[in-house]
Amino acid sequence: MEYIVETKNLTKSFGKEKAVSNLEMKIPKGEIYGFLGPNGAGKTTTIRMLLGLMRPTSGSVQLFGKDMKNNRIDILKNVGSLVENPSYYPHLTAKENLEASRKILHAPKERIDEVLKLVRLHGVRNKKVKGFSLGMKQRLGIAAAMLHQPELLILDEPTNGLDPSGIIEMRELIQSLPKEYGMTVLISSHLLSEIDQMATRVGVVTKGKMIFQDSIETMRKIAQASIQIKVNDNEAAWRSMLANGQKADLGEEHINLQVEDDEQVAASIDYLVQQGFSIYRVQEETRSLENIFLEMTKEEHAE
Amino acid sequence: MISVISSEWYKLRKSKVLLLLLVAPLVGLFIGMSSSLGDIGAINPWYEKLVMMNFTYAVLFLPLISGVLASVICRYEHQKGGWKQLLALPVTRGKVFLSKYVLLLLLIFVMQLLYLVSIYLVGMIGGITEPFPMDIVWKTIVGGWMATFPLIALQLWVSIAFKSFAAPFAINVIFTLPTILVINSERFGPYYPWGQPFLMMNIGGSAEDFFFVPWDQILMVVGGSFLLFFIGGYLYFQRKAI
Amino acid sequence: MIFPLIQSDFLKIKRKGMWLLCLIGPFGVVALQMVNYGVRKDYLFEQMDDRWLYYLLNINTFTPLAIVLGIVILTSFMSSIEDETNAWKQLVALPVSKRSVYLSKFTVISCILFLSSVLLFLFVFGYGLTLGLGEDIPYLRLMEYSFLPFFAALPVLGLQLWVATISKNQAIPVTLGVIGVIFAYSAPLLPDWMIWKWPALSNDWGHAYINALLGIGFGVLLYLLGMVDFKRRDVK
Ligand SMILES: Nc1ncnc2c1ncn2[C@@H]1O[C@H](COP(=O)(O)OP(=O)(O)OP(=O)(O)O)[C@@H](O)[C@H]1O
Ligand SMILES: [Mg+2]
Repeated sequence: MEYIVETKNLTKSFGKEKAVSNLEMKIPKGEIYGFLGPNGAGKTTTIRMLLGLMRPTSGSVQLFGKDMKNNRIDILKNVGSLVENPSYYPHLTAKENLEASRKILHAPKERIDEVLKLVRLHGVRNKKVKGFSLGMKQRLGIAAAMLHQPELLILDEPTNGLDPSGIIEMRELIQSLPKEYGMTVLISSHLLSEIDQMATRVGVVTKGKMIFQDSIETMRKIAQASIQIKVNDNEAAWRSMLANGQKADLGEEHINLQVEDDEQVAASIDYLVQQGFSIYRVQEETRSLENIFLEMTKEEHAE
Repeated sequence: MISVISSEWYKLRKSKVLLLLLVAPLVGLFIGMSSSLGDIGAINPWYEKLVMMNFTYAVLFLPLISGVLASVICRYEHQKGGWKQLLALPVTRGKVFLSKYVLLLLLIFVMQLLYLVSIYLVGMIGGITEPFPMDIVWKTIVGGWMATFPLIALQLWVSIAFKSFAAPFAINVIFTLPTILVINSERFGPYYPWGQPFLMMNIGGSAEDFFFVPWDQILMVVGGSFLLFFIGGYLYFQRKAI
Repeated sequence: MIFPLIQSDFLKIKRKGMWLLCLIGPFGVVALQMVNYGVRKDYLFEQMDDRWLYYLLNINTFTPLAIVLGIVILTSFMSSIEDETNAWKQLVALPVSKRSVYLSKFTVISCILFLSSVLLFLFVFGYGLTLGLGEDIPYLRLMEYSFLPFFAALPVLGLQLWVATISKNQAIPVTLGVIGVIFAYSAPLLPDWMIWKWPALSNDWGHAYINALLGIGFGVLLYLLGMVDFKRRDVK
């Protein structure tokens, strides 16, 4: 598969402490990659290395199949980014701020108005950024990242400080990018719920280690994998099922079935009916993504 | 009030401001060691050293470095909205301003003492055997300190007004450089606030006055400009939109 | 490659008062002599037969101080523009080499300082004419005292820009600048190898252009050192 972002054994130490350790990140083209982790997990540090702002202690970063170490400028021509708090020049207007980057990016002049409209700052384009609200500065940062229509957009907590309508606009904008421009997006967050609604892949880090990386569907599957059945005699039914070679756990109130697809559920129920059990209830236990996420990160903490 | 000052001190303690104070004696040593005025017919070799050292120290170094200290003392507040945080505490703005000012005075006094040590060291290294003229030296130390009162009031004012270090420093430079010329003038010298550190540290000044300059000049020029700058800064800070 | 960066840096220093400083520096140096000559013209005329030369020497007591302090202020301004909201990370994440980022800052400040030197030349010449210093105007000397201090001060620029860009706390470069101006002021007492002495244009060989040449050489050297160090560092 062609990966837009691929890191190998990426490690960054600050003194003795490893902020990122042996991280293997893989982002295929056209995906919206949600990069999740609690405070201090190493998300921003990873992103800094992806952008060549920091040198890895060991390991490598490849963007568009090119090595960051030797092709930084070439790579960055196709990358737009917003890292942590937006950076801006307070004494310049919104337009001038973008102009300062545009000159370097060689983007056409019309792009400034286009991106300003995109983030709804066109009305205040001639106002000094000093007087902007937090969310407006954030929008300006996003506008700057999109100025040259990059193939890869890297956003570190981009919804920070946005109002609800801003968050929705932002989400719609990001969702449209792969479809309309074939962009690939990396977006970091603490909140799974935020990512859940737009990401197509997720990577979860804690303490500098990647503990999960797959498509969002796989993550959802983990969340939906358990079916609960309540019958007149739970324990007898459970024994009978085990004897029949089906995977099941005995809970306090019900039997937990671990099944992969709907056919299996149907077969198990069929079997129980044939054995003469009265089936009171069949329900799906949906652990929220939030729960899984918490569990994943908790296991790491327990070590 | 004391608690505000001690909190200010607490914030500074860990920064490298103390190293900044050490620059003063180092500069003192440098001027003292590099200068050889030759025989100026002074009664005492200590006087020779004092005349030389105090000149460069008081004309350029003292006014410039006290401006830097004033900016340092506002640095934490200018970073990441520190003013908001500080003023959201149950303190009046007046107390904050006064605390910062008092702390600056203390820091500069310590710096003056360190400079005094450097004078002594220069003399020792130079092998001066005459007794150290403490009665004169302490007057220059305290006098120079007092002469910075108005200067740091102004510098505190502009340091609060501007985020960057460069802007208050630029203003400081614009007022300090002309001193080199102005102190030569008998007509204007006594009235130029930035010239006062030199005049009050110049042991060649009028000997019959307690601080080498007449009391009325101290009161009028130092006191007057102090009031102007202090009240100006105080009112500005009261009104500043945070 | 470098021109867009320089243009962008010129855009960023808008409204920061740096152009004003560019004007105030040379104007201040000449204004001080206006006061000096205004107050005691007759006395100053008696000091030396070559009145033009004496006038230029008077000017040159302040030029080195103004240049050194100007460098301190401009370099600190320049890096505080990027420091204020940590815009370094945004700038370096653009497709530019860190080397050219540094070169651009160096170039912009050099341009401002050079423009100051041009203004100094004009002001010194203009005021000199009104003073009636004599018929034969020493054009060569005039040029030397206007432009050579700039070249001789390039090492100070290299050093201050380096320290200012890598310091989180601008108190460090500014304090270094205060020490530097004390050195510049004590120039006659300094050994020839100290870079702060060079803008005063005095040396044991008696040729001002040597200071300028040394300045260019060591200026480039310190610039390169600063650039290599800047490139090596992680951007926070
Ligand atoms: N410049 C630095 N020097 C020392 N330690 C650092 C530095 N930058 C980051 N760290 C450490 O690296 C770890 C990871 O930090 P990082 O900023 O990458 O976390 P994060 O996942 O972005 O967290 P958050 O969600 O809070 O933004 C933290 O423990 C932090 O203390
Ligand atoms: Mg982060």
